[in-house]
Formats: sequence, C-alpha cells, structure tokens
Amino acid sequence: MSEAMTTSILSELVSGAKSANSFKGIRSEAEGFLADSRIPSKKHEDWKYTNIKRLFDNGLNLVSANDITFNSVDGVEVYWSTNEELVGSTAIHSKEAHAALNTSLFEKALVIRVKKGAQVNEELILQQVIKLNDGEFSATRVLIVVEDNASLKCQHHYSGSPQNSSLLNNLTEVFVGQNARLELNYVQEIGEGNLMTTTEVECQRDSNFTTNCVQLYGSLLRNNVNIRLKGENVETHLNGFYMLNGKELFDNHTLVDHLVPHCESNEIYRGILAGKSTGVFNGRVFVHRDAQKTNGYQSNNNILLSDDATMNSKPELEIYADDVRCSHGSTTGQLDEDAVFYLRARGLDEFGATALLLTAFAGDVLKAISSEILRSELEDKIQNKLKEMRA
Amino acid sequence: MSLLTIKNLSARVEEKDILKGFNLTVNPGEVHAIMGPNGSGKSTLASVLAGNESYEVTGGEVDFDGKDLLDMAPEERAREGLFLAFQYPVEIPGVSNVNFMKAAVTEVRKHRGLEPLVAKDFLAYMKEKKELVELDGKLAGRSVNEGFSGGEKKRNEIFQMAMLDPKLGILDETDSGLDIDALRIVANGVNKLKSKDKAFIVITHYQRLLDYIVPDFVHVLYDGKIVRSGTKELALELEEKGYDWIKEELTEA
Ligand SMILES: Nc1ncnc2c1ncn2[C@@H]1O[C@H](COP(=O)(O)OP(=O)(O)OP(=O)(O)O)[C@@H](O)[C@H]1O
Ligand SMILES: [Mg+2]
Repeated sequence: MSEAMTTSILSELVSGAKSANSFKGIRSEAEGFLADSRIPSKKHEDWKYTNIKRLFDNGLNLVSANDITFNSVDGVEVYWSTNEELVGSTAIHSKEAHAALNTSLFEKALVIRVKKGAQVNEELILQQVIKLNDGEFSATRVLIVVEDNASLKCQHHYSGSPQNSSLLNNLTEVFVGQNARLELNYVQEIGEGNLMTTTEVECQRDSNFTTNCVQLYGSLLRNNVNIRLKGENVETHLNGFYMLNGKELFDNHTLVDHLVPHCESNEIYRGILAGKSTGVFNGRVFVHRDAQKTNGYQSNNNILLSDDATMNSKPELEIYADDVRCSHGSTTGQLDEDAVFYLRARGLDEFGATALLLTAFAGDVLKAISSEILRSELEDKIQNKLKEMRA
Repeated sequence: MSLLTIKNLSARVEEKDILKGFNLTVNPGEVHAIMGPNGSGKSTLASVLAGNESYEVTGGEVDFDGKDLLDMAPEERAREGLFLAFQYPVEIPGVSNVNFMKAAVTEVRKHRGLEPLVAKDFLAYMKEKKELVELDGKLAGRSVNEGFSGGEKKRNEIFQMAMLDPKLGILDETDSGLDIDALRIVANGVNKLKSKDKAFIVITHYQRLLDYIVPDFVHVLYDGKIVRSGTKELALELEEKGYDWIKEELTEA
C-alpha cells in the first residue's frame, strides 16, 4: 500500500473523531504532526520486527471504548476528564505517530491524582477489559499524578478477548513529584488482540519510580516505556517479564533519559519464548552530558524453549558524561540442561524441574512487585502458561 | 536378592566409548568402593546409572531391585531409591534449597504412596536431617549450591541424600577436597544412614575416606571396566603403589 494511502487512512481515522471539542491545543498539534507522518513500517528502525502497519493497511474503524474500571481507594482521586491541564504535557505526541494518534483520538482521559503528602497503601487497580471486534481501533488515555511527598501503588490490568485484527492504543502519562513514590504494574493478557501501550514518565528530584510489566497473552503487544529523570537523586526501576508461545510477538522498547546528576536506574527484562514466537527488547539508557554520577544498570535475559522462537535483543547505552557507573548485558540461550538433570535426579519430573527453574528465572522480576496478591496471581498464571508451552 | 546387578554395561559419550563391559553386583547392606585413575569412567558409570541422557548406553543390562533401571527416566530412578551425590553439584540461582527439597520429598513420598508432609512436619524432618550432616541452618534457606564452598556443596549432597532416604547411594568423589572435619561429617552422615537394606557405592581417589566409611569391597575401574576387586586392603595398596602396577599386569596378561 502506498504511503499516500496510509496517510489518508490516518486522516480519515482522525477526522472521524467525535471528541474534537476537548483538549484542542494538544490535538491540533498532534494532527499537524500526523499530517506529515505515517504509521511506521518495518523499514523504520524502531519497528523492524513489529508490524503494526498491516492492521492500518487493512483498514481500521475508530470506536469508543473507555472501559477502564477501578476500585475506590482512600486518598486517590480518580475521574474522567476532558480538560485536565497536564494531559499532553509530556509532549510525546510530537515525536511518535502512535502517540500522536492517541492524542488526536482519545475521548477523555482517566485522571488519577494523589495529593501532596498523601501516603496510599492500598493498591489502585485499573481493569481494562478489551472487547474490540475485527477492524476496530480504540484509543484510551490515562494520566497519573503523584504530587510531592505522596505515594501510590497502581496496577493496570489489560484483559479480555479482542478479535485478532483489532488494535487498542493506550497512552499513560505519569508525573512523579518531588520526593514522591510510585509503583506502576502492568499485566497484559489479551488473548489474540493487538495492544500498543506507551508510558511516558517524568520524575522530579528525590522521587522513586518503579514499573513492572508482565506480558502473558496477545497476538502483538508493543510496550513503550520512556522515563525522564528531571531532578537529582531519583531512583527508578523498570522491569519486565514476558512469556510467548505460538506466533505471539511481544516488543518492549524502553528509554531511560538521565538528564541530571546523581540518579540511578535499574532495568531487568526477562523472557521465555516457545513455539514460533518472536520477542523484541530494545532498551536505551541515555546519559546526558550533565548527568554526572549516574548509576545505570540494565540487563535482558531470554530463554528459548524452541528452535523456532526468535529473540531480538538490543541494549543501547549512550553516555555523554564522564563520571558514571553504567553496565548492560544481554543473554539469550536455552534452559540449563545440567540443572534440569540435577533436579530430575532428585525425583522431580521434567516439567516440574523446568517449571521450578523458569519460575526462579521470573523471580528476579516478580520480587519487585510489592503486592503479595498480585505476585501470587502472576505465579499461577506463569505456571498455566508454562503448561501450555510444554508441548 | 541383589539390589543392583550391572551386566556387561557399555556406554559412550560424544562418539567416545567409555564403559566397555562393566560388571558389578551390589547386595543390600554392602558398601562398595570404586577407585581408578582420572578419566577411567567412574563418573560416567554414576551418570549412566542416574539416567543422564548425554551418555548413550550401547550395551548391557542393569537390574535395580527387580526392575530394569535403564528403562526408567531419571526421576523414576530417584523415586525408586537411587541417589547420586554429584562430583560437581550444580548451582541453581533463584531456587531455594527448602523449596527444592520440598518438591523432591513430595515426589518421592507420592511414589511410595505417602501424603505430602504438612509444612510443620516437613520443617521438623528437615531440621533432623540438617543436624545429621551438621549443615548450617542458613545454607538451607539459600539458593541451591549458589555461592557454596566446595565442602558446603558436598555436605548439601549428603543432606539431600538423607532427606530422600534412598536404597542405594552413589557418592561420586564426595570426599575430594574436603578438610578432615568436613570429611568426618560427610562420613558420619553416611554411616548413620547405613542399614541392612541399604547399600552404597563410594567413588573415591583417597583411601582416607575408607577409614571412615569401611567398604566391604574395593574395585579398580580402568579403561571402562573393573580390572581388579578386593577388600579394603586393596585400597591401601593402591594408595601406596598407585595404579601403574595394575596397568603393567594388564599389559603383561
Ligand atoms: N560430557 C562429556 N563429554 C565429552 N567427554 C566426556 C564427557 N564426560 C566424560 N567424558 C570423557 O570420558 C572419560 C571418562 O570420564 P569420567 O568423568 O567418567 O572419568 P572419571 O573416572 O570420573 O575421572 P575423574 O577421576 O577425573 O573424576 C574422560 O576421558 C572424559 O574426558
Ligand atoms: Mg569423576
């Protein structure tokens, strides 16, 4: 399909939007960007392995699907908004077509706000059950603001069974105030559908931000996490765990932008791939010239359970400061046969041995999740998926 | 009836023949020591008996307590009561000793028609076995063998053996590299597990171990088969004279 046609599909999608009256400023900016751009194809470096464009080429109809539900938690304000000022201020829409598309098409934003100094212990859980049919596209938007000295734990759970040529695009903007804390956990298990998620984070000084993303089911899951460390003494952890089977394709693109000195970032992404699945990890840690005394650590480890599974791992460390401690590493290999035999020699069957080793492999990521309930739910889900993978 | 009967066993690894017609019969209550120069095939024998699939059995039969051992998966052999203390125990990051042993003991009990132990009983059982091999309490909570010293790894093997309570224990150089205290602990562990229906095959290079675990028979494995068998005096002779005299006798014959 020609570029002109793809562009017209975008304009068509955008002009069909009903919500043109809200968020005018950011929308017109995003639409301006979209007028000159197109959905990136596999020729684009960041989309080399992940073909979302084919969904657009087949034609997508915009539908309204703001079906995110949430529990009520003391100390957290949660509301739908068509005029919240901070929405769009991470300016992501000026850089990336899918983000611009989200900005021009979402109807209303789900705003989550924790006021200055409020310490929230109970976990806020956002449930997004996706029900899109073939050929349907929907954009949802979330804004999380944790004000100075406040703290929050939030889980965003994507589930449902959308049909396999639908696409949901969610963009979550996150502001972590001075000396604030946020733990943001994602669980993605959407059967056969396609999901494109973006998290844009800004951290102020002395804050602590952790995000964990566990990907279990989906035809195509593309997860972007971009974290900007804007104030000194920020500690951030970003982790991911993914399990792929069949023809699933999960793609994680992360960026940690060290803009100022004395910040620390820790990143662990791990995955298990079976069947004919394809995994992508692209992790950039960018240390700007002023960001002296940065500690940046990143690792990506993958276990392939089948010869037909592929992992494309690309850690990228770009350092322009001279006094930093940074390291990164990437490994992709098979399960340790000696370890499997050792466990079997003690009476565990092959599946039990494999499951014990793989659960331990996941453990380094899961232990960053503070909710015991979520952790144990995930352990069960991981066991179930392992059973499906054993064939 | 014998516990283990190995007849004419041959095995290879990576196209190389290692065991070449190995014979051995072990009766309940017996301790057999197997000695032999480096590379003679001792660990290969242990691996084949435990069911390591990277070794290919090319001939022979093994009967274990009335069953065809070579026909069983590694875990079935373990559940039937065969235990190998590895020469090089594997480090398994992220899997705690406790969880590992809970899973293993549960499997072995299930095979014997027993219910899993409830948490309290399991911990009590584990405590008793830990004391048997004087295993530091902290080691039990850590990841399997990860960061353990050589001696700690070997003690952990004996601890696992005590937990699983096998009919036949095969100890592959469990004594190598141990100081005298650790050696005594390991040997005591084995001696406490000894009974009239259990047997041990102790693979070692050092006569010293056999002062503590007194063998009924000593065999010399050379080039894939047993070339000489005797009583514990043979071990003393080997310690003194090395293996050359046996090799010479073989070439003369
Ligand atoms: N996995 C393997 N791959 C290739 N060669 C092997 C393998 N395992 C054993 N061998 C070879 O088989 C022969 C016998 O090895 P084995 O480990 O059984 O000897 P051993 O008697 O236990 O020696 P040691 O006293 O040094 O422990 C050696 O030549 C060894 O190099
Ligand atoms: Mg050996």
